[in-house]
Amino acid sequence: MKILIADDSRVMRQIVIRTLRQAGHGGHEIVEAENGRQALELVRTEAPDLVLSDWNMPEMNGIDCLSALRASGSTVAFGFVTSEGSEEMRERAASAGAAFLIAKPFTPEAFDDALRGVV
Amino acid sequence: MSAAAHESPASEDVRAVTEDVWMVLLGEDGGLRPRTVPADAPFDAAAWSAATTISGGWHGVVTVELDEALARLLTGRMLALTDDETATDSDVADAVGELVNMVGGNVKSLMPGPSTLSLPAVAAGRAAFGSDSALACRIDLAWQDGPVRVSVHVPQGGPR
Repeated sequence: MKILIADDSRVMRQIVIRTLRQAGHGGHEIVEAENGRQALELVRTEAPDLVLSDWNMPEMNGIDCLSALRASGSTVAFGFVTSEGSEEMRERAASAGAAFLIAKPFTPEAFDDALRGVV
Repeated sequence: MSAAAHESPASEDVRAVTEDVWMVLLGEDGGLRPRTVPADAPFDAAAWSAATTISGGWHGVVTVELDEALARLLTGRMLALTDDETATDSDVADAVGELVNMVGGNVKSLMPGPSTLSLPAVAAGRAAFGSDSALACRIDLAWQDGPVRVSVHVPQGGPR
């Protein structure tokens, strides 16, 4: 399985990769993007099975990236990993077609719970 | 303007959010201790600081300041660096920015919305606040004997 991780923070991308491993999902191929625009391009060229995306990013944010993907016909599984875990943000994410939203700070258990439905 | 828009976050909520971030990032070593600092005292350490702005249903600025050595230690832990690897300034800026993003995002969730959270602004140095902002809440903590401060400022005259 190929997972695309989109976050403008290299530190956070490292933490997400480490947490995936701790959650028992360490054997997957990882592709990294620094913003939503790069993620959009990499979905086209790399065909990941899952996108794990931050919400707030420069160039293009996560929700605009998801909307652009769905508008282009992509059905790639998409989950947010964001510091904004309010009900309002969860509803916006779900309405746009996200499978889940993991709120930062997160635990390996939160990753496992979220990924079990899509992996 | 709703009455809720005039609220400020409770200090105990900001403290709980900050402690949660530290514990999740650092595990058992992430315990923060309270630190007594005189009111209005500037942050008393060579510091890194990062701020994020919440705007919309509630307006405020969340700032994290932490000791230079602490910032580098925390960055190393976040990146899982080995003893012979050193965090660069760019790594520290990234890590401190993520800290304020996590604390700020959680503060945003406590306050009336809908609001947006800005990308973090990070600086090597103490944070400075203009006369158009007023301190709504400040918590001083210590991790590994180094100082950490989280502040929430609102527009002068109260949150808009």
